[in-house]
Amino acid sequence: MSGTAGPAIELRELRKTYRKKGEVVTAVDGLDLVVARGEVFGLLGPNGAGKTTTVEICEGLTEPDSGLARVLGREWRRGVDDEIRARIGVCLQETKFHEKATVRETLALFAAFFDRGRRVDEVLDLVSLREKASARQASLSGGQRQRLAVATALLGAPELLFLDEPTTGLDPQSRRQLWEVVRSVRAGDGTVLLTTHYMDEAQQLCDRVAIVDQGRVIALDTPRALIRSLGGEHCVEIDVDDFAGRVGRDDLRRLPGVVGVELSSTRAVLVLPHVESSLPGAVEALLRARGLVDHRFAVRPASLEDVFLHHTGRQLAEQEKP
Amino acid sequence: MRMRVVRAVARTTFREFWRSPEAVFWTYGFPILMAVVLGFSFRPGPLPKVPVAVVDGPQAAAMVAALGHDDRLQVERLDAAAADRALARGRVAVLVRAEQPAVLRADPTRPDAELARLLVERTLRDAAQGPPPPLAVEAETRPGARYIDFLIPGLIGLNLLGAGMWGVGFQLVQMRTHHLLRRLAVTPMRRSEFVAGYLAGRLALVLPEALAITLFGTLLWDVPFRGGFLPWTCLVLVGSFAFAGLGCLLAARVRTIEAVAGLMNAAQLPMWVLGGTFFANERLEGVMHWAAEVMPLTHLNRALRDVMLEPGTLLDVAWPLAALAAFAAACFGLALRFFRWQ
Repeated sequence: MSGTAGPAIELRELRKTYRKKGEVVTAVDGLDLVVARGEVFGLLGPNGAGKTTTVEICEGLTEPDSGLARVLGREWRRGVDDEIRARIGVCLQETKFHEKATVRETLALFAAFFDRGRRVDEVLDLVSLREKASARQASLSGGQRQRLAVATALLGAPELLFLDEPTTGLDPQSRRQLWEVVRSVRAGDGTVLLTTHYMDEAQQLCDRVAIVDQGRVIALDTPRALIRSLGGEHCVEIDVDDFAGRVGRDDLRRLPGVVGVELSSTRAVLVLPHVESSLPGAVEALLRARGLVDHRFAVRPASLEDVFLHHTGRQLAEQEKP
Repeated sequence: MRMRVVRAVARTTFREFWRSPEAVFWTYGFPILMAVVLGFSFRPGPLPKVPVAVVDGPQAAAMVAALGHDDRLQVERLDAAAADRALARGRVAVLVRAEQPAVLRADPTRPDAELARLLVERTLRDAAQGPPPPLAVEAETRPGARYIDFLIPGLIGLNLLGAGMWGVGFQLVQMRTHHLLRRLAVTPMRRSEFVAGYLAGRLALVLPEALAITLFGTLLWDVPFRGGFLPWTCLVLVGSFAFAGLGCLLAARVRTIEAVAGLMNAAQLPMWVLGGTFFANERLEGVMHWAAEVMPLTHLNRALRDVMLEPGTLLDVAWPLAALAAFAAACFGLALRFFRWQ
């Protein structure tokens, strides 16, 4: 198979289990995925969904138990590992570079690994770190460190860039700066595989998104199409102290214009194609009739968060490993 | 002071320690292991012998016979040059010349010299019928024969051991815990390139280091440098290589700083004690002899003394050089085989 044709990433029936304290944990459970060249592809899912393991298999760091993983038309451990490594760029979840090295020195180290690629100055500009070029690692802020990590991944002018949770723990401004970097990579015809558990990030950056849960892809499309698949692009949130079983899914379903309902003990989320003016009144009447006096009513656009909730019945944002 | 706060901090500190198995092992398990090993090595038995050289001469045979009365003395008859050499290299504690009166020659700063002198005096007194024979004591002060001359090459060896093992092993584990090794593993950098570059960076530091100790000894105490600079340089580099290899091997799979620190200590402590830095280790017996002979530090120290205290050439230290190089190669081979990048 040629190295330049075909998809950037092709994963078929991928499986990986770990042994953790005597227990077998399935991280990736028969995952299928095709990432086309030139797209920014997002793997979205809660912590422990198998995103990082999937990416590590693509990066050659982890060997799958079974299944096919083809990266840029090549497979790992077939004697072409160095060729693949020369064509990809990797930003791992948390890397601490040499504490006493400056930004420029760190980049010079990684630049030396590649026979072809970008110059250090070019990459410094790409990630807007030129004014920090002589600053040591230890004096960088969290956002600057993360941009440095991305910069090391850009030095080889990669055809395929892996970004594993690149903005986790960053302030909003640093996040937006990193998003700009990703956009500039796409503008240069690069392919990006990004993992994140931030829906807004996936929505903002990704051409297509795969929602991953428990080691499998449960939904895959453009962010817009995923949201549209809910049946409506608007959401109404109703928060109360406790529904206590007094309001059911069917009651909410009968409200004007509602096409979808997600219900927990304190929150109901209604999905609607458009919000009818009679809706607030109808909600109020329903709640009052069931003895719920106090509630909060809010309208917002539907998001990937709702898509996740719809598919799993769980919130994405507050997901932690059980 | 609020006891509630003190208690909370103490509890947290204790828990952090107790929940790191490596720390617990190296704190409790390792000392017990050491105690068992040392207990068996030093269990009560015959006291170690004190080596004494009798210098060849007309009355040497009588002197050997006289000193032979004491079981604690291990008496050897050597010609003058060999006796001087044995004293310089710490293989004997004192020299005895059977003259009238008898002369005892030793460097009083050597740890075992005083015991040897007392034993020789007592034995000669007990062996004599009548008044004790006079015994003149001569202090060894010639450069190259003193304890400090013995010590300086040993300190170079010890320093290379520390620098090689800690410098290489510790940093590797730190890079692993910082996920930097993983990050490097996904670049087109080859493993051999990494090892070669990493070692070159570390070994650049050892020559100036060894040179500084040597210069210090020469300028301050007149410690001689009688052999060639080339064999000395080779020894310093190959010796460091061997210790770096050992450090690399110990750090090959370890995930925490505590564990690597424990392993390093476990490997270094026996070499500190038995590696021939502070006293000659040629006359150890049993397990300790065997242990000393397999230590790279032992062979490095002896070879460094060969080229500093004696006019040793590259040919004279070819064997230890080859052995150290083989040891280094074996360590690096194993380390690369089992190396954990993540």
